[in-house]
Amino acid sequence: MTTSTPPAVALDGIWKRFPGVIANHDVTLSVDRGTIHAIVGENGAGKSTLMKTLYGMHRPDAGTVAVNGTDMHMKSPADAIAAGIGMVHQHFMLADNFSVLENIILGSEPAHRGVIDAASARTDLTELMRTVGVTLDLDTPVSELGVGERQRVEILKVLYRGADIVILDEPTAVLVPEEVDELFATLRRLVNDGTTVIFISHKLDEVLQVSDAITVMRQGTTVASVAPADIDRAGLAELMVGSELPTPGGRTTDIGETERLTVANLSVVGADGRLVVEDATFAVRAGEIVGIAGVEGNGQYELCTAIIGLRPATGTVIVDGDDISTASVRDRHDAGVAYIPFDRHREALMLNSSLWENGLLGREASPELSTGPLVNIGAARSSTRDIIDRFGVLTPNETVPAFALSGGNQQKLVVGRSMITEPAVLIAAHPTRGIDVGAQAAVWAELRDARDAGCAILLVSADLDELIGLSDTLLVMFDGRIAAEVDPDDVSPAILGGYMTGATTGAAS
Amino acid sequence: MNLLQRMPRIVTIMVVFVVTMSVVRTWTGFDDLTSSGTIGATLRLTVPILLAGLAGLWAERVGILNIGIEGMMILGTWFGAFGAWKFGPWVGLLFAIGGGMIGGGIHAISTIRFGIDQVISGVVINLLAFFGVRYLSELAFVGQPQGGISQSPPQSSAIGRFDVPFLSGGRIGGWTSPDILGNLEERGWFIIGDVAGIARGLTNGVSWASLIAIVLVPLSAWILWRTTFGLRLRSSGESPESAESLGVNVIRVRYQGLLISGAFAGLGGGFLAIVSSSYYRQGQTAGRGFIGLATMIFGNWRPTGVLGGAAVFGYSEGLKLVAGNSITGLFLFIAIVAALAAVTGLVRASMRRTLAAAAVVAVAMLAYLTVDEVPESLTQSLPYVITLVVLGTASQRLRPPARAGVPYRPGSAH
Repeated sequence: MTTSTPPAVALDGIWKRFPGVIANHDVTLSVDRGTIHAIVGENGAGKSTLMKTLYGMHRPDAGTVAVNGTDMHMKSPADAIAAGIGMVHQHFMLADNFSVLENIILGSEPAHRGVIDAASARTDLTELMRTVGVTLDLDTPVSELGVGERQRVEILKVLYRGADIVILDEPTAVLVPEEVDELFATLRRLVNDGTTVIFISHKLDEVLQVSDAITVMRQGTTVASVAPADIDRAGLAELMVGSELPTPGGRTTDIGETERLTVANLSVVGADGRLVVEDATFAVRAGEIVGIAGVEGNGQYELCTAIIGLRPATGTVIVDGDDISTASVRDRHDAGVAYIPFDRHREALMLNSSLWENGLLGREASPELSTGPLVNIGAARSSTRDIIDRFGVLTPNETVPAFALSGGNQQKLVVGRSMITEPAVLIAAHPTRGIDVGAQAAVWAELRDARDAGCAILLVSADLDELIGLSDTLLVMFDGRIAAEVDPDDVSPAILGGYMTGATTGAAS
Repeated sequence: MNLLQRMPRIVTIMVVFVVTMSVVRTWTGFDDLTSSGTIGATLRLTVPILLAGLAGLWAERVGILNIGIEGMMILGTWFGAFGAWKFGPWVGLLFAIGGGMIGGGIHAISTIRFGIDQVISGVVINLLAFFGVRYLSELAFVGQPQGGISQSPPQSSAIGRFDVPFLSGGRIGGWTSPDILGNLEERGWFIIGDVAGIARGLTNGVSWASLIAIVLVPLSAWILWRTTFGLRLRSSGESPESAESLGVNVIRVRYQGLLISGAFAGLGGGFLAIVSSSYYRQGQTAGRGFIGLATMIFGNWRPTGVLGGAAVFGYSEGLKLVAGNSITGLFLFIAIVAALAAVTGLVRASMRRTLAAAAVVAVAMLAYLTVDEVPESLTQSLPYVITLVVLGTASQRLRPPARAGVPYRPGSAH
């Protein structure tokens, strides 16, 4: 890096206001060409807003954006693409019914007089995949791809447009460790070829591992720029939140004797007639957290939705001695089963509805919140205010629509809604996915409190540290079966990874 | 696209269909089942529904529901009849397209520009078109010979028809070629006679307008799946946020898609007013816009599928028209269709479907063997019943555009 080369991206004095919020103020950022530059910060620190500014998705209220030394006034992503900037969004921007090829070429199709030249697109993409070291079947519909593969499609999409500055918005949030390593290898290869990578994350270990430079954001502005060699995890966390990094702590209470949730020989048949959950048998005792590790798509989702009755299944589910195997979702809920869903946008929230309506969901028939057929709006609102206070949801009040909240705050509301009823059994699927360290610590604390109060918790997570730290018993799912039961005190992520990918088989403990 | 891969399946279905009908025809002597008259009528009755279905397809592929197809067809009938009356039939069809595009444009502006609910906007267009053309008739048709508030003056010329030479006795210069298919059909041989009847129905006395409509099926497929424009258009219906993030002007393609949708609906209306008859009459569309939407769903949002769905409806209506008093034959048709469904149910080991289809077969056969006369009011509704039966039994894995009917505001990605 010679000093005469202008930085690939230079942002100076950026301000961005939204109604009622200052999302970015006085942001300054300089990214050198050919480096991986990490931007870290809690959710709501303004990272995504800043990247949207850089990608032309909105215009800053003040400040300058310079790309390769030239001042830019980008009005749309098209301008950013033309300037060589590409973005891999946190929520993938893919058309599920389109093939990989169609998704990649959309908007930049090679064509003769408007007719798509599929052959030349195919040649170019095969060549591109070879240089990047990625393999994908170009004709597969994206709906059939796993999360890691979808991300590769997103990256190819960006590179296909000739981007030499690639922004990745929390790329590792949805990946398992092995996929993360592959992603980092790909990024390293890109940087060696001269591409500049801007990498947004709040996973500090990854940031320290992969980046060449780190910029920390807090409360809408940039607070520090450091080199990874000059700082450790604790120091970075302190810059980010101004406090110590929380870890899942050990337990002080004992696991109860009674089985509160008993699952026996549970099997679920998938849409294609194949068994997606095969003969699952396990129990969760009072005050116990049973963790389920596994690469996404190995039956965890089907298992959880079968337990709460959303999906037909064979086998037995017993809660506190009541056989609820054939009960409706409503009855299971009333029997004390609560659920924190996998995807908060799809399954947990009505994004366009107010927080109190969301807080009411699933509890609308409970006597405290309703009178006969009528909902008691006052009680519903005050109950939601309780959730907001107790779980630290950052929001002006309970009447704002759910979409106005950041992901972490949405998740806190969802977790709070499931836990405020003090359920007998809690199915918690990715309770801290995509939320910042502060919120994560709060959710962990709540899970531990519920456990200590005697709740039986089934925890599904992609975060192995979380699983190992919180679980009392750890099950691994692979290909629909419970492939192993391990002792969380005596297992490493590497060993778990072996079971999760099917490389190691058999029970250990 | 994957037309080639699908071809064998289509061929199989057609072969099974022809053989079954042939068996039933020779068994019962119900010759109209595959006569060239029935098939010719089928073609004429299929075209407007086909165009309505394609109109729905173009709108939903771009991500917008079009309940207003019926209204756009009404505009097509009125403007088509007006243009044909003043300037001749071909200009009339262009007027019809223009009329439909007015409807499509209104739908586009109200749903895209002003964010009005897509269903409400569509319903309003249906009402607006119905009463709007009455007002226009008041201005243009009242006082003209045979014209009135609910009817246009008759057109003096019509769009030409053709017979294919050698197959159906078409003329080359001044010489009339032999009508080979006609001769074969008269013999009434098993299968050969049926195939000849079907083929002759599709090659004898065909309107050039029908030919154009049929060509629009592969043309739509080609544009939507092979061109840049088509890919961008479909992306707006599948994932407008991704499309926008890649620099596709989603708003513009949505306008374009709805204008094309309106043009198809208008052409369908024009066909009714210019080819199927020679004047505009109130109520001429008779709900075909809605049937078109049903065929779009039946056709899995694909042009060839829409053609298939439209043909089912066209056939049952054509049979009703040609068979006249022997309408009880339609029960037989229902029985055949249900029997086919039962067979496919067996093949796919779907017990419930097989039993349901078998029950329909039993009821339809009983009706065919015992009922001699069907009340007029009931025969009118039979094509709809048949369409329902077919749509119901032909369950399949549908793949609608992921975001059809979901309003989109630019920059709404969170």
